[in-house]
This record gives sequence, C-alpha cells and structure tokens, in this order.
Amino acid sequence: MTGLVPISVLGTLILVLGIRLVAQSRNRRQSPAVTVDDYANAREALDSVFVETAAIRRIFSVEDAEFVARSGTRDVKRLFCGERRKLALQWLRRTQKQVAQLIDLHLRLASYTFDPSPGFELRLTAKYLTFVVVSNIVLLLLWLLGPFKATRSISYTIRTASSFCTTFSLRLERVNPTRLSSGRESLVH
Amino acid sequence: MGKAQQAFPLHFYGTITHGKLLIVMETNVIWWTGTSVTAIVLIRGALVGLLRKYPLFYAYISCVLLKEIVGLLSYQFARNFYEPFYWPSELATIVASYAVIIEIFRQSLRHSPGIARKAQKFLLAAFVLTLSYAATDLLHGQFASASRAIAELGRDLRYIEGALLLVMLWLFVRYRILLGRNLLGLIGGYSFWVGLNVVNLALWFLPGNGFSVFLRRLLPITYVGTLTIWCLALWSSQPEPAQSAENAIERDYELLAAKTRAALARTSERLVRVMKP
Repeated sequence: MTGLVPISVLGTLILVLGIRLVAQSRNRRQSPAVTVDDYANAREALDSVFVETAAIRRIFSVEDAEFVARSGTRDVKRLFCGERRKLALQWLRRTQKQVAQLIDLHLRLASYTFDPSPGFELRLTAKYLTFVVVSNIVLLLLWLLGPFKATRSISYTIRTASSFCTTFSLRLERVNPTRLSSGRESLVH
Repeated sequence: MGKAQQAFPLHFYGTITHGKLLIVMETNVIWWTGTSVTAIVLIRGALVGLLRKYPLFYAYISCVLLKEIVGLLSYQFARNFYEPFYWPSELATIVASYAVIIEIFRQSLRHSPGIARKAQKFLLAAFVLTLSYAATDLLHGQFASASRAIAELGRDLRYIEGALLLVMLWLFVRYRILLGRNLLGLIGGYSFWVGLNVVNLALWFLPGNGFSVFLRRLLPITYVGTLTIWCLALWSSQPEPAQSAENAIERDYELLAAKTRAALARTSERLVRVMKP
C-alpha cells in the first residue's frame, strides 16, 4: 500500500504536467520567439513601475489620510480610501505582472544558453516564490485593511524583523569561536 | 484466468461460457478500432512525410501494429500460440516505447543545447537509479510463473518510463520550450497514456483492489484515446515554431542570470522602500 502512493503521485503528476504543457503552448502561439530585446523591454517596464516613486509613495501617504480625516465628510473619507485602495492594488498587481513577465522571459532565454546553472535557477526560483508569497500577502492586506493601515502593519513587521535580525547578528558576534571549539573538545573527551 | 492474462490492454475475454458476449463484442470493437487507428497513424505519417521527421516514434507505432496483427491472427487461427506470445510481445512493446522518449528528447531540445546537456545527465541518473531499483525488486521477487515475472518487469519498465517522462515534462514546462503542433500532440498523447498506465499498474498489483478491475477495463479505451490524439495531431505536417535569430538571443547564462538577479533585488528593495511610511 505504501508503494501505491508515490506511483499514483507519479502518474497524476505526468497527467497534470502534460495538460499544463499543452495549455502553456497554446497560450504562447501568438508570440513564440523571444529575443534579448524583449527581455530588455521587460526590464525597462519593470523599472517604469517605480519611476514615479513620489506619486506611488503618495498612494500610501498617511498625511493625506489624516488631512481627509480632519476636514472631509464621511462620504469623502470613504471615497478617498476606496480610490487609494484601488490605486494601491492596481500598482502592486502591475508590479507582480511585470516581475512574472521578466522571469518568464529569463527562463525562455535561459533555455538557449550554453551553460545554464541549475543551482542558480533553484535560488532564483526560491527568490521569486518568496516575492510572490510576500507580494500576495501585501495584496491581501491592502485589500482587507486599505493602504494606510496595511502600510502600518507592514512597516511594523519590517521593523520587528530587522530588529530580530540585528539582535541575532549581535549575539552571533558575541559568540567566541575559540570558546566554542574548546567546549566542543570537552564534549568529545 | 491469471492476473497476467487479464492485464492485456486489448484483451479478448475468452470465457464466453459465462455468457459475457457483450463484453467480448465490446473488447472486439476496441481491439479492431485500436489496430485500425494505429494503421491510420502509420499510413498518414508515411503520406505527409512525418515518418522521416519522427522515425523513432513511427518505429514504435510499427512495432505496436505488428504485435496487434500477430496477436489478432494468432487468436483467430492458433490460440495455443496466443498465450505464450502475449507477455513477451507486451514487454517488447514497452521496451520499444522508450524510443518515443528518445524521440521527444531529441526533437524538443534541438535548439536548447545547454538544457539538453544538463537534462541528459539528469535523465541518465534517473534511469540508472530506477533501473537498479527495479532490478533489485525483480531479483528478490518470487514469481509463480514466467508470465508473472514478465508482467512485473514490464510494470517496472513503465515506472522508469514514467519517471523519465516526468523529468522531461517538468523541463519543458519550466523553460517554456517551444513545441510545434505535431510534437505537442505526440507528447500530449504519450503523457496521457503513460500517466494513466502508471496509475493503473500501481492499482493492479495491489491485491484485492476492486477499483483496479474497473481501471483495467478502461485501459484499452484510453489507449484508443491516445491513438486518436496522435492521429489528429499527426494528420498533417505542421510548421515548426519560428526560432529567434542567433544574434537576437543570449547565449551567456552568467550575464542573463546577473541581470535577472539584479532586477529582482532592485524590485524587492523598491517595494519595501515604498511601503515604509
């Protein structure tokens, strides 16, 4: 019975990947060939998402929210929050789409290279997956809390994570390697 | 009737004495349909010139057709010969189906020299590993009959084939390898057949599994389905997808990797900066 599970998984994976391959090839019929120019354009498009940094920061600006909260009516506040949320979601989705396109082009171009590195590909996949997970969490927070509360929560998380990292690296620095090795020796003997 | 006999994909149920005439008719129809579609695939391949393009695949199809014709003739005219013929011929067909794997590998990765080289090593390692596992299994097994031993060897070979196909499919999906309509149909049909066959074989060797009886009856139909996919996909010769010119693609992986890594790092950094109030 234990042998049945991996074999069934193997069979199912073959079917799933087969269907995925057919669907993927059908979708790409319109633009089959890929060039370095496409890749350069994708990089430029990704950079362009952040070109108007001041305008993007404005979407998440707490000062604007505070100003509207002070002087606006309830309807204005609701309209303001709704529009900022929409803008924030649109911007993040666009960023996700551009990153996905860049990775897609990278992989397609990588298939033509003479010496692709599986190690780097694995690391890149891990980084990309992390980006996808984190950006989706941010997307969910933006959708649930709106841009202002979401930024506060995200900023709090970033601060906590960096203070944790700092504490951890300070502790590591304090560890005396000579004492550590002598301790290990005493454990052995 | 032994398990080994029952597993025949296009099997004639010999026990007409039980009054299962309908099943016999159904199986006859499937068998004849399968053989006819196999012949059509081969004839069309010869007519449209795909036979020269995919010689290994058509060699496999010829092997299957030959086996089916000999099986049909022996069943009609020399039944004593049918049983000893069935299992060795089934094993030979499974071995021949490895030609399809080689054909898919050869045709798909023609324009991807780096991936082909890496994949070759990986596939070879997967092949050696699974083959040694199957050999150990075979050596330690105690078989009641020669047909049972052949059946189990055939099953193990199918598992190895499944593992190799899975690695290749993953590579094609991961690197978005460009495939023409003919090759895509060939791979699609083959994945459908091997995937279902692997699941079926796993259940079949599980003692007392009632579901496997149903799957076993479904298997000949899935093979006819596979042949139909191949027939449709290989009906005419389709042009290969246009490849980019040599000066329009990047051959240096290090350079490409560095650019992507930098772009991804820059994006993450900017995202964090924007989100910080």
